Amino acid sequence: MNSLSPEVALSRISPELRPLLCSVVRNGRIGLDSSSCLRITDLKSGCTSLMPGPCCDRFKLHIPYAGETLKWDIIFNAKEPELPPDFIFGEDADFLPEPSELPHLVSWDAGKPECLLQLVKELLQQYHQYQCQRLRDSSRLLFEYDSLLNDPNYGRSMEIYAGLKNSWTGEFSARFLLKLPVDFNNIPIYLLKDTALDPGEDVALLSVSFEDAEATQVFPKLYLSPSIEHALGGSSALHIPAFPSGGCLIDYVPQVCQLLTNKVQYVIQGYHKRREYIAAFLSHFGMGVVEYDAVGFTKLTLLLMWKDFCFLVHVDLPLYFPRDQPTLTFQSIYHFTSSGQLYSQVQKSYPYSPRWDGNEMAKRAKAYFKSFIPQFQEGAFANGKL
Amino acid sequence: MAASISGYTFSSVCYHSANTNSDHEGFLLGEVRQEETLSISDSHIGSSEFVSVIEVHNHEPCAQLFSFYDYAGNVNEENLNRILKDRRKNVIGWYRFRRNTQQQMSFREQVIHKQLTNILGIPDLVFLLFSFISTANSSTHALEYVLFRPNRNYNQRISLSIPNLGNTSQQEYKVSSVPNTSKNYAGVIKEHGNEFFDKDGVMKDIRAIFQVYSALQERVQAVCCEVDQSERVREKIQEEVNKLKEEIALRKRNRAEEERRLQEAAAVPLPDNSALPDSSQSSPTQVVLSGPSVEPSVERPVNSSSPPIYSTTLPPDSPSAILLPRPQAVGSPGHPSPSLGLGNGDGSSSDSLNRQATGQEDGDDEDSSEYENLVSEQLQPPSLTETVTLGRPATLWPDGDAHSPPGS
Repeated sequence: MNSLSPEVALSRISPELRPLLCSVVRNGRIGLDSSSCLRITDLKSGCTSLMPGPCCDRFKLHIPYAGETLKWDIIFNAKEPELPPDFIFGEDADFLPEPSELPHLVSWDAGKPECLLQLVKELLQQYHQYQCQRLRDSSRLLFEYDSLLNDPNYGRSMEIYAGLKNSWTGEFSARFLLKLPVDFNNIPIYLLKDTALDPGEDVALLSVSFEDAEATQVFPKLYLSPSIEHALGGSSALHIPAFPSGGCLIDYVPQVCQLLTNKVQYVIQGYHKRREYIAAFLSHFGMGVVEYDAVGFTKLTLLLMWKDFCFLVHVDLPLYFPRDQPTLTFQSIYHFTSSGQLYSQVQKSYPYSPRWDGNEMAKRAKAYFKSFIPQFQEGAFANGKL
Repeated sequence: MAASISGYTFSSVCYHSANTNSDHEGFLLGEVRQEETLSISDSHIGSSEFVSVIEVHNHEPCAQLFSFYDYAGNVNEENLNRILKDRRKNVIGWYRFRRNTQQQMSFREQVIHKQLTNILGIPDLVFLLFSFISTANSSTHALEYVLFRPNRNYNQRISLSIPNLGNTSQQEYKVSSVPNTSKNYAGVIKEHGNEFFDKDGVMKDIRAIFQVYSALQERVQAVCCEVDQSERVREKIQEEVNKLKEEIALRKRNRAEEERRLQEAAAVPLPDNSALPDSSQSSPTQVVLSGPSVEPSVERPVNSSSPPIYSTTLPPDSPSAILLPRPQAVGSPGHPSPSLGLGNGDGSSSDSLNRQATGQEDGDDEDSSEYENLVSEQLQPPSLTETVTLGRPATLWPDGDAHSPPGS
């Protein structure tokens, strides 16, 4: 079942229903995972086959929810577009929402383009309640839910899917999807812009799957927006701890949240520190600065001279600076290696302390240059060729 | 639970539905009846099964959607009554037709169904869902239908049968029990019905057949009585016959016993010759006996065709003369056949003695010869008993010597 692109779906839908569907496919971000759009498939018509198109008036809407994808059938009547739609809730045959608690159904107005989207949101709220009710089959999981519900940080941003019941073994399982309240606003912009896709809202979602009702098999997983993941150094840079045996979500989730927050703080702090470092080097070396990264402050190149010997120094600042030490690369401007590259030497260990401020780092770096250059010069003469 | 819908109702619903350019709905009219099936098999004595059968007789289409409910699915009873009118009591369910959708009740249909169940007061209200599915190039169209009873927690789908929609050459053509509500039909039947129906509305042929059946039943009953009586008579006669047979057997046993006693008495040696009775004065049986008198019935009839009894008086000083066999010519009727039983081994033969005593002509000769043989057995050693039975007994020639018959 291939999802239709918004343009294709809109071209096949009955013209009277087009505004309603347009609102769904273009602005349809609902639920915690709002980075995923609502998808449309199986566009069909309720008219006779003799009816000339476009006359599609019923389709399947894919809604991301708690790590699952709900597939709801939405049924209109092209010949009576003013009437509200009907729904078939896929595999959740027991889900029967209360119509009186669906204001956009009771007061359906086909003239309002966002009416359908709002109705779907209201249905999803009732669906969430329906899933929470199903947790009552397991007192353990119900406890997890209630404890999180009472916490204002997580209670309002939680999706639960409790439909994973194994009919053979009678095992009951559930999945909790929580939006972590981590502030990503201060992450430098440059870290967030290098993504191929439109990142949308920056969000971190923690998914915890309980494979059994007694919580003996618990599998957590952290989902980050692509830009956040890139900003934090990729998926390998962030590892969350395993769910402790006998632990509960109300203890575990804040732990993960804190870990993520610390990471973000490191990143933010590192940016500012790098900027301070570059500024100090600019101040100390003045005309000797060839170039530097003025966006991310990750690179700096100096052209220095010692006893008529000119050389370049490339400074690479890592993401988790100042915790991680910058790399210094000395490069001769006279000598080449056998491969045709300029002769260079990389120095990763030199006198350094993350507690120094930028000024101190610049001073210490200057002193190190003076002490190292004679050795580098000898090496260049010995190993390089003019 | 089972359900059936008549072919014309089904086609009418399909016709109405297929001709609309949107979803279509309406009500199903009919009745629910209970069927009890009794089954008897070898494994158990019997079991009965109750089945509710829903029969759809007709339908009431709605002119448009939302004609009796609002956007929230709340049913308006007033509009409902306007649609159903006086047919409300015949409602057994409702139906919906929608193209290119799943065979599953939708959200609004479930809401409406619950309300209809309460308003109409039908606990087992059914819902018939038609789905019309077409391929992308419109080359194939499929009409699918499913009957639901959503008010149950399990077995919510019921199979819906359409009588005679199938290969009637292999299946029995079923007459539907759906009542015919056509006025035209009722008029024609009323006009021409007298030729076929009697005043009670029953077909005349059926009544005639029933009369024949009743007459046959009466005859069978009468025959049963006759058989009963004849059986009783036969039984009585059989009892009499059995009784007579018993008497005969008893008499025979008594005579045999009597003759055996006479035989035993005759075997005892006599103290003097004077005790010997005069052979000319005694009956043949008394020739060899002395002592107890012989019963008169023992006497031989005068007109007996049996061979004359040898009544030669034997010399007194010849004790063995008592046991001499009577002379009998070869080929005489009284000549014993080899197959004749010769008694009990001790020389006595009760049957032969009794028969002889009563004067039976046919058996007398043989019996007398048996007697003779018995006597000869007493003279001969026991080992020769078998020999005697196999061959002809020795005949007494006039000279008194016993000679074996030629060839023996």
